[in-house]
Amino acid sequence: MGQDREPNDDSTDLDLIARWKAGDERAATALVERHAPALARFAVSLGQRSDVEEVVQDTFVRAFGSIESFRADSSLRTWLFTIERRLILDRRRAERRRRDDAALDDVNAATEFDALDGMVADEAQTRVTKAVERLSRLQREVFLLRVNQGLSYKEIAEIVGSTEGAARVHYHNAVRAVKELLYV
Amino acid sequence: MFDCANVEMRERLPELAAGALDAATRARVEAHVAACADCAAELETLRLVRAAYTNAPVVDVRRIVSALPHPPAVSRTASHAGPPVRRWMDWRIAAALTMITVGGLSVAVARRAGSPGAVDSAGAQTNRDSVVIASTAPSGAGNSGPAETVHVRRPLAPTRASSQKAQLSFGGGVDDLDRATIEALMGALDEIDRAPVAPSAEPDRTPVLPIISEGTR
Repeated sequence: MGQDREPNDDSTDLDLIARWKAGDERAATALVERHAPALARFAVSLGQRSDVEEVVQDTFVRAFGSIESFRADSSLRTWLFTIERRLILDRRRAERRRRDDAALDDVNAATEFDALDGMVADEAQTRVTKAVERLSRLQREVFLLRVNQGLSYKEIAEIVGSTEGAARVHYHNAVRAVKELLYV
Repeated sequence: MFDCANVEMRERLPELAAGALDAATRARVEAHVAACADCAAELETLRLVRAAYTNAPVVDVRRIVSALPHPPAVSRTASHAGPPVRRWMDWRIAAALTMITVGGLSVAVARRAGSPGAVDSAGAQTNRDSVVIASTAPSGAGNSGPAETVHVRRPLAPTRASSQKAQLSFGGGVDDLDRATIEALMGALDEIDRAPVAPSAEPDRTPVLPIISEGTR
């Protein structure tokens, strides 16, 4: 009769995945409700200007479509972030090819964040976002995953495809750069 | 602004900002921040960053869920109901009909080959100058006479295509051969029959039955 149980906040991600595999579609709703807001924030922090919901949706579709490959070595959220990051990078590459635009490389990534200008409420936040814009793409990803999501270096390394030590270095370099831009 | 020398506490600042610390660790870090101006300033910066990036658009959960694939259990159930089963049954029926047709034809061919008039009939069919229109097999009990085959001269003149075909063929039928040639051919066939059989590469499909001696019963 466990199948008829309503998914609640106490259910772990693994419980919900198992129930979804067994045919309980409400478990999918619980998982989406739990992780969609963080995925949307992560998409924005990666510079996704529009279609954030579409990106989040594609992430879930891809994740549920290949749920058998989720080994639970990392948390579901880390796995979802990894998928979403790849999706966003793929979309960006495709868009870049389509428009044959200037390379959106690590050095010249500031243009990704134009849309954020309308989101920040006050001058302090504007200054912060401009400081973050100046970081390299990898520094920014590591920094925002650490600050916004509170992920460990190990989890961040999995998401960005780096090492734990490298993630730590990127974070501290990013903190130093942001502080210099804000206060010096 | 400087970096705090307490690396452990400094490493906890982003987790404190993200609310990712357990209660005990959080209390320790907050106590340190209260006494450390550098960590307090860094924590303030991290909180500003969080505030700047938490304004993500609200997503429609229902819409996302509706786009998800069905659970594996549901998909399996769906795949076992309806059309696929019917398709499998269709294949089985088609296979059965094919077997019946091929079997029936095989029996008919075997019967025809086994009839006394078969050799003449086959020979006549290979004869380009005649057409077999009837072949009468012996009928009735006790009638063991040879079959009679009726040959009719082909009335039409050979066309260019048929004449070319005739030139490409190996020759006429058995009727064109004289008695000596036929006897020589029959002798050659007997030689082939007497030749030792080479071992086949195919596995022996003869079922191996257990030998049960009288004593074991």
